Amino acid sequence: MMRAVSRCVVGAWLALLAVGCYPTTEPDHTKPRAADTAQDLVCHPEEEPTSPLALLTRAQYDATIADLLGDDSHPSHSFPPENQVEGFNNNTEVHIANPLLVEQLMDAAEGIASRAVASSMNQLAPCAGTGAAAQDQCGADFVSSFGKRAFRRPLTDDEASAFDGLFSSTNAARGYASAVTLTLQAMLQSPQFLYRVDAARTATEETGAVPLDPYQLASRLSYFLTGSMPDDELFAAADSGALIGPDEIEAQARRLLATPHARDMVRDFNHQWLQLDGLAGLARNPPENGADVKSIGDDYLESLQQFLDHVYWDEGTLASLFSSPVIYLNARLGAVLGAGAPDADFAAISEQAGRGGLLAQPALMAMLAHSDQSGPVQRGVFVRERILCIDVPPPPPSFNPIPPDPDPSLTTRERFKVHTESPACSGCHALIDGTGFGFENYDQLGRYRTEENGLPVDASGNMLETGEAALDGPFEGALELSQKLAQSPRVQKCLSTNWYRYALGRVETEADNCSLLQVQQKFADSGGDFRELLVALTLTDAFRYRPATPEDM
Amino acid sequence: MPRLRRDPILSRRNFLRGAAGSAIALPLMASLRASAAVDTAPKRLLLMYTPNGVIPDAWWPKNVDGEAYDLNVIHQYLAPFKDRVTFLGGVDLTVTNSGPGGLHQRGIGGLFTGQQLQSGDLFVDGCGQTAGWANGISVDQELAKTLAVGTPITSLELGVRATENDVQGRIAYAGAGAPLPPMNDPKDVFHRLFSGFGQTTDALNQLHAERKSVLDTVQSQFKSLSARVSAEDRSKLEAHLSLVRDLENRMSVSGNGSPACVAPNAPATLDPTSEDDMPAIAALHLDMLATAFACDLTRVASYQISTSLNHIRYPWLNSLGEGHALSHEGPSDADAHTELVARQTWHSQLLANFLTRLGQIPEGSGTVLDNTLVLWGNEVSEGNTHSHQNMPFVMVGGGWYFRTGRYIHYQDASHNDLLVSVLNAFGVEATTFGQADLCHGPLANLV
Repeated sequence: MMRAVSRCVVGAWLALLAVGCYPTTEPDHTKPRAADTAQDLVCHPEEEPTSPLALLTRAQYDATIADLLGDDSHPSHSFPPENQVEGFNNNTEVHIANPLLVEQLMDAAEGIASRAVASSMNQLAPCAGTGAAAQDQCGADFVSSFGKRAFRRPLTDDEASAFDGLFSSTNAARGYASAVTLTLQAMLQSPQFLYRVDAARTATEETGAVPLDPYQLASRLSYFLTGSMPDDELFAAADSGALIGPDEIEAQARRLLATPHARDMVRDFNHQWLQLDGLAGLARNPPENGADVKSIGDDYLESLQQFLDHVYWDEGTLASLFSSPVIYLNARLGAVLGAGAPDADFAAISEQAGRGGLLAQPALMAMLAHSDQSGPVQRGVFVRERILCIDVPPPPPSFNPIPPDPDPSLTTRERFKVHTESPACSGCHALIDGTGFGFENYDQLGRYRTEENGLPVDASGNMLETGEAALDGPFEGALELSQKLAQSPRVQKCLSTNWYRYALGRVETEADNCSLLQVQQKFADSGGDFRELLVALTLTDAFRYRPATPEDM
Repeated sequence: MPRLRRDPILSRRNFLRGAAGSAIALPLMASLRASAAVDTAPKRLLLMYTPNGVIPDAWWPKNVDGEAYDLNVIHQYLAPFKDRVTFLGGVDLTVTNSGPGGLHQRGIGGLFTGQQLQSGDLFVDGCGQTAGWANGISVDQELAKTLAVGTPITSLELGVRATENDVQGRIAYAGAGAPLPPMNDPKDVFHRLFSGFGQTTDALNQLHAERKSVLDTVQSQFKSLSARVSAEDRSKLEAHLSLVRDLENRMSVSGNGSPACVAPNAPATLDPTSEDDMPAIAALHLDMLATAFACDLTRVASYQISTSLNHIRYPWLNSLGEGHALSHEGPSDADAHTELVARQTWHSQLLANFLTRLGQIPEGSGTVLDNTLVLWGNEVSEGNTHSHQNMPFVMVGGGWYFRTGRYIHYQDASHNDLLVSVLNAFGVEATTFGQADLCHGPLANLV
């Protein structure tokens, strides 16, 4: 019996981590949920949970169909949205089939197949022969070649004969084009296409954790780093059997990160991590300068994504995420922000007052606001949960908060003060609002302001109970807070953890200690370099192994 | 364990489908239906959900005298249907008294399931409460097991800006931990319901045959793959496989030949994330649902207007406060009170318009309205208190079983018993639903 074990030793630095660790009993997602003691840590892949069957998300489905068939019609637009956990829609525990999805998958497969056959049947399934036998042979070639790309690995004999059977019976009854059409439909509804399957393809004699085979690794790499199926080079590496060890994985990861699809993937991650769905349908009361804000959420979204593109691909470090002075505006946003009216297309603008880093982006501030006023609570929750990975501590189980009847004649900040003064609310809100008040320089459209209703803006904040001494305490405005966050190990660990969840499609458990700590450490060692973080994720045991399945034993 | 009491509809439908597949030539079918409809008209259920509680002073009946009452301002548009409207006072969401999750989460999860939320840390609410999904099937899906047999669509879940994709955005459950997402885009609903209309019987038969051969192959792939994966993954594949199987049995959606079964015009492109498009989407969904009932495409539906933690303004009502925040305003905020009453009145008016449509669709000696029950609920009773007592439950219809047109006063009744009564109304002989220890049989004094 072969036992697949690779060992990694993660040593003394863990003790250093423990010094800055969060001292309370509340959940701390910057480190694995049940903390290990600070002793030398040896990774045992067989003890790490491996990711279960992953159903393609809508974005992955559309990208895969585009790469597979050149059909960029976004056929998943009618699919129900994925359920989400911790902001992510690729969580394998909750993104599962439901009746509506299965029905829509059939509908989509029918549309895709008929478009493919109408536009490119001669490329997909060329056939010079005319008799049934010759056509069935063409069908078998199609099943084998297209099937390999659709299932992301060569078909087994059983699989090939099932699709060959469908092809030839349809060909006999309805002709060649129908046979190609129905075979496509069936493949696109089969689990080997819809799920990323890490089962053994042939019998092995392994137990515990098993290294992914080259095709499985190719799919893991491609769906993580490009959000789509493996490209030709990945297929070639898998075909040759070369894609197996850390060196090959790293080389492929670096190559994939230079492809255009990697940019799509980073946008997808950032959209989910920062919960940018909040910008869809953004509704804001018209500003006094008369700017048009109807349906402006899409403009804000593109502005923020261009900033994040710049941070990831031009600057490339965590520090730049919190400090890059650039903002991206088109004519509409320029009018809203009173920042001149650049061209209709987005252009980079820097040296604007009050800008610097993610948290001072107009789009983020506009999203975290109400239709007619800023949103200190939303902003405070956002910083603590998304940036720092701190769940707000819950009140006692029997606690049933009855909020006071607020006085509508109070000012905004005074109204929000009710939160921190009422015993019913202060449990949550002392922590939340102390952070969120620091963003009062940005109104509900993300415009920078130093006065509100003729009065000077008070943007003093107070960070409490972050578990990191350098973060705790008073600060003045978003830019000072951003400087602190840029240096914070806690922020670095939080972002690593979010990437870990995205890469593996699940929330980490105690058993992920070793892999997660490796990733956090490599990110720190690289000086917060995003590329190194993403490469490090592909080299963890959690990424490279799967559990043994019946075929293995 | 709920049991089927009787279902005269079943045998008739089985006969029709068994005789010639699902797409019978329409004139024959229409005449069969016309003669059979008197006693065998299908019964339908609609669950309706609106979030964040109500303004009790304007929602509950006024001038109450025993069970007699006058409709309050919010429900003014229900006046033509008052003899079908039953207000249920004093019913509590007892099931939410304990268990994981915040109060909005527990409320929406328990509303139609009668279950607590599963423990777990999938979802965190604004105050740090953690929970999983609801721990059981919802009453509509329990009914669909018998009511929907033979209909092309088991159940239709419709949403109007119901875009929270976690426990706070789901009211219908196929089972424990298995929420059913609503459709938010009328174009998708239209395509799903009516794209088969207007095709010839031959074309539909061919489509059916093609789908069958495709889905047979797909099923074989699920079966062979299931044998090769871990136990956890196998249960995922088997659940998916059973949905494919169900799809194969239900496939062709087409009309039933009834004169009222006419596909509407395709809706214009609307933005399901835009508050400006909410009125059009809200109305389109209900119009299409009425037609789906008329055509007997489905008999089980749910309809939800947004979700609890929404920031939605209702500009078409000049209500520019944001949904959840607005609902937290106390009684001293007269403006907020006015906005909330306007919103809730609009919700009730949507329901009234739907009832009007149903009342115009002849069926047997009456109309589809005579054969429909609507149960409307909310996840809290008041937004400012988050109370789960005296929940704003109102039923419309179900007159074949309930004594309607009344305001019935209960004392701390468990809403699980209300869900049992709903099952009973459709011939399911249940005595419990949801969490069994909160059940005492059906609600008293309803039938």
